[in-house]
Amino acid sequence: MNRNNFLIHVALAIVLILVAAFAGQLNRWRKHWKSEIRIVPAEEKKTIHSAEDIAMAEAIKHGRPEVLVKFKSGLSQQTIELLSARFNDQIEDRIENAPGWTSIDDLDDATPAETVAQYLVMPEVEFAEENYEITIPESIDSTSLVPVRPHDPQFGEQWALANSGQRGGKEGADISAMLAWATTTGSEEVVVAVLDSGVDYNHEDLKPNMWSRPGSMDAYQDAELGPIDDERGFNAIDNESDPMDQNGHGTHCAGIIGAEGENNIGIAGVNWKVRIMPLKFMNAGGFGTTKDAIEAINYVIDRKKAGVNVRIISASWGSTQRSRALEDVIRKAYENDILFVAAAGNASVNNDRKPHFPSSYNVPNVISVAALDRNDQLAVFSNYGVKSVAIGAPGVDILSTWLGNAYEEKSGTSMATPVISGVAALIVAQHPRMSVDDLRKKLLASTDPIVALKGKTVSGGRINAAKALE
Amino acid sequence: MTKEEAVEKARNDLAKRLKLDASKISESSVEDADFPDMALGAAEDDEMSGQMITRGWRIRLDANGKSHEYRADKNQVRLYKFKGKNYRI
Repeated sequence: MNRNNFLIHVALAIVLILVAAFAGQLNRWRKHWKSEIRIVPAEEKKTIHSAEDIAMAEAIKHGRPEVLVKFKSGLSQQTIELLSARFNDQIEDRIENAPGWTSIDDLDDATPAETVAQYLVMPEVEFAEENYEITIPESIDSTSLVPVRPHDPQFGEQWALANSGQRGGKEGADISAMLAWATTTGSEEVVVAVLDSGVDYNHEDLKPNMWSRPGSMDAYQDAELGPIDDERGFNAIDNESDPMDQNGHGTHCAGIIGAEGENNIGIAGVNWKVRIMPLKFMNAGGFGTTKDAIEAINYVIDRKKAGVNVRIISASWGSTQRSRALEDVIRKAYENDILFVAAAGNASVNNDRKPHFPSSYNVPNVISVAALDRNDQLAVFSNYGVKSVAIGAPGVDILSTWLGNAYEEKSGTSMATPVISGVAALIVAQHPRMSVDDLRKKLLASTDPIVALKGKTVSGGRINAAKALE
Repeated sequence: MTKEEAVEKARNDLAKRLKLDASKISESSVEDADFPDMALGAAEDDEMSGQMITRGWRIRLDANGKSHEYRADKNQVRLYKFKGKNYRI
């Protein structure tokens, strides 16, 4: 090459560089003019999941180049510019707080994916990726939650926990359990006493969540009968140790409160983790005496005093017979910081006029529960009472555990009651020191207003577990 | 307990209460029914029952020109409001 040819090549190179620079400036002006109206295709969007993403978003928030390239260390800025110029690309910026990364504008019609591919094959390049538009969703805020869906195979049938409109139901007419589980799925430190027909403690979906007396704790001492080995709970019918359910009702209620969640078996309880203390006072027929109910409540109080963290008694039973003795022992439970959740009854009557007990006792720890169906309607059988029935919860066609590793759908305020007990247990898992008064207030304040319950219950709403954990 | 066994048990109970021969009692109707609780809506005094809708049978028996209602399921038979009171048989 002679001296003239060399000068011609240099001049051509300078002209080309000037043209490229001018074109680049034009492009920047074009982008500036259009920046306010640019529509980003949905497929380009990416949701932030980590703090690193946020930092990257901050680093590039002043512009939107099409690709981000990380050049290998040791390359000069001039070399990087030359490499980019090969593809008619323009260096937009070097990203602060992200060493080695350079944002690059493509000046021709190549797509971001094509541009990335061009850089990835270069030996000088460590990595390249599209510059996604990053949106910072509200959920990144610590108070926002992402619903958690368990993989228990029959969860799709549990409309009370997640109502998708299955079997003609109303979508969203549920207790927002999946949202609640983003906060807590319960705690094995929280004990719920299921005062019922006993519990099938061998049921595979309940077994891990059953309470047993700690080895360090002495056996229960009955004032009249002496020591009773309460290793698995208490049986007030025979005053013995075995609280095995012979009916199924207690097992069903226990499953609603705390069938183990995310175990790939059956259903999920309102609590995935909890400790269920079985107390048996109803026989194989599903009925029992007031005297035995009182004995069982006394047992709970005794165990609480001995150090068991039993905070809730779930009582899915009742009658229209008032008992001063039963009322007194429930008050004693209140004095020991134990919530008493009770079924409003299934006679389709107004409890304000025709009370049902124990749900109608005017004791501060009693919370009376009405039943709702899958369409947010008061169940046709459910009792109600704007003064005496506190709250509504799903109680029609509720799938839960049954005797012998089975599952059955049942209806009644019996089924609505353990929903409230379960939500109470979630609250206690989150706030272990919350008093029984505050726990009751929290439950009543954590409802979704339901037209069907307006003027029918104190709160006028259906329990919302997610709200209860706010 | 089957439905037939429940009807038989109810008939014998009514005969005893009314001091009648069982043959003098006629079966008015026997129908499937949903009861409001596990005491079949016929709890005795001082009895508590699970508040779960319970499937069973409503048995109506006639004797001496009067109708008497029994309620039953596989676990139990009850006499409903006999002279104002409920009885578990």
